[in-house]
Amino acid sequence: MNIPIINIENLQKIYKISQEVSVHALKGVTLKVKRGEFVAIMGASGSGKSTFMNILGFLDTPTSGKYILDGIDGTSLNDNQKAEIRNRKIGFVFQGFNLLSRTPAIENVEMPLFYRGGFTHEEMKNRARKLLAMVGLSGREMHHPNELSGGEQQRVAIARALINDPAILLADEPTGNLDTKNTYEIMNVFTTLNKEYNITIIMVTHEPDVAAYADRKVVFKDGMIIDDSPIRKLKKSRK
Amino acid sequence: MDFTNLLITALRSLSKNKARSILTSIGIIIGVSSVIVMIGIGRSAQITVEERVGTYGKNAMEIASFHTLLTEADAENIKKKFPQVQYASIIITKSNVQVNYKDRSTISGMYGVENDYFKMKLWPLTSGRYFTDIEMSTHEKVVVIGATVMRDVFIYEEPVGNIVIINNVPFKVIGVLSELGESFGGKDFDNVVVIPYGAAQRKIIGNNKIDRIYVSVYSDKQMDETVEQIKEYLNRAHMITSDSNEFRITTSKQKLEMAEYISKTLSMLLAGIASISLFVGGVGIMNIMLVSVSERTREIGIRMAIGAKRRDILSQFLIESVTLSGLGGIVGIILGLVIYYLITYIVDWPYIFSVTSILVSFLFACAVGIFFGYYPAKKAADLKPIEALRYE
Ligand SMILES: Nc1ncnc2c1ncn2[C@@H]1O[C@H](COP(=O)(O)OP(=O)(O)O)[C@@H](O)[C@H]1O
Ligand SMILES: [Mg+2]
Repeated sequence: MNIPIINIENLQKIYKISQEVSVHALKGVTLKVKRGEFVAIMGASGSGKSTFMNILGFLDTPTSGKYILDGIDGTSLNDNQKAEIRNRKIGFVFQGFNLLSRTPAIENVEMPLFYRGGFTHEEMKNRARKLLAMVGLSGREMHHPNELSGGEQQRVAIARALINDPAILLADEPTGNLDTKNTYEIMNVFTTLNKEYNITIIMVTHEPDVAAYADRKVVFKDGMIIDDSPIRKLKKSRK
Repeated sequence: MDFTNLLITALRSLSKNKARSILTSIGIIIGVSSVIVMIGIGRSAQITVEERVGTYGKNAMEIASFHTLLTEADAENIKKKFPQVQYASIIITKSNVQVNYKDRSTISGMYGVENDYFKMKLWPLTSGRYFTDIEMSTHEKVVVIGATVMRDVFIYEEPVGNIVIINNVPFKVIGVLSELGESFGGKDFDNVVVIPYGAAQRKIIGNNKIDRIYVSVYSDKQMDETVEQIKEYLNRAHMITSDSNEFRITTSKQKLEMAEYISKTLSMLLAGIASISLFVGGVGIMNIMLVSVSERTREIGIRMAIGAKRRDILSQFLIESVTLSGLGGIVGIILGLVIYYLITYIVDWPYIFSVTSILVSFLFACAVGIFFGYYPAKKAADLKPIEALRYE
């Protein structure tokens, strides 16, 4: 398929802080992402990466520009349609995990199915269990987030992001809060998802080591893309 | 997101703050229990009145003597000496007698009376006849049975002319009374056997005492004056000082007024308590829900990020507040029923279990939850996903 899963043209985002002060966070971003790609977004802090990801994830709306996700024109959707797309087409992984505390892992994972509707209790549990197994958390279903390590919490978040078979997986600094070992684990999960399950991944990171797992590097600076290039796989070493 | 999931979510989040949930519900609990007590008392009073009127008839009074001094002569003289008296009858009662016919038996109320009793109550026969003067004076063992007794022991047989056994004494059935029906309180007016008072005294009770005399006058305007005159007459006849309380005369009107007064006063008081505490309870729920929404802003953001729609969030918080008020309502209903039972027990009124009043007060509690929970829920649902997620 040649049609890009993401097609963005001249995307702008201006935050109006007051009458006089506004921040031009995205100054015309154009980007196409093909199905099955693994893209790393890099750039200095404040360069507009999160703003961009939030718009990609339908959590925020652009001030202007075109955004087509999997054939759907994102600029003409109402709140309910956006919620549906967040539910069905997008899996979001945050730096801070964003799991519901005091809620067992399995319930966190199955929650998007609640909002999708039409599943029996059993179906939801089974699906959630399968995904937890896929991210290597079999047997930890009933653990609450505070009983899991950062890496494990992030894996629960990944399982949750994948439960509705999304078109893309968006990850905003997924390893930002993790140590080297956990970072390595998460990146292995991402690689597997991308290579074996052909899931499209867009990931923000400012660590070159982490970006090295991706196929393509997009660099932001001051709300614009200044570099977009493939990553040549140099190291294939394993620890 | 379907309803059961919403309910589960609501119960989970409420149970995470048990103490707070319980405290928040207290207003609703008090409000709902007041509603239950209020409706109950109103009904009980109404039924009490109805039963009194049903037992005495209209423009009627009941004469009772503290030391059972009443005599047959008293009853006769009251009839003779007071032209305004329309009917008067000696009444001897026994609340549970066993009535047998062939192999069937039932427990009924026994009334030993004079024929005036039937007239006073405007109680016609469906077959047979009332007592004759001879049967009255010779204390004949004859009985007029109520419709329930006929159904229970005779079923399809003709009762008139047959013999029933009342507490081991054979009585000949001479008449069957028409059906009066049941009171709201469940008292069956037709489950009675009515016999001449003399027979009741001698054959069933075993002494010649007279419990009460029922008297009715032509017009209700004559009631008060007649009560005074009869009291005066009885005191004189029994040579008792006029300020003594030996003879008590109660009119149906008095009972009626008293019951109405008590029920009205109580109802007004409770309606006040109910509306204030339901309002306070509602405001309490609104307050706690607002706190809950701001505490859980991030959770709302997460839910929106994974696909919760505006209405999912709205219903989540609405259901939470309705669950809170509904559970308060259930506790309030139980508490109210207990209090209501105790009140009826103390003042000796019938206890009426009313499904309607339970449903009404439960729905009322839920309505309070919806009304006061809507604003916080709307506040939650109106949050923008990205802002809710960024909230610290
Ligand atoms: N909600 C907001 N309101 C105002 N300014 C914002 C908001 N979010 C981000 N910004 C500004 O937009 C710019 C880009 O921010 P962001 O997208 O978070 O950058 P990055 O994720 O690359 O660090 C920054 O200057 C930041 O201060
Ligand atoms: Mg950022």
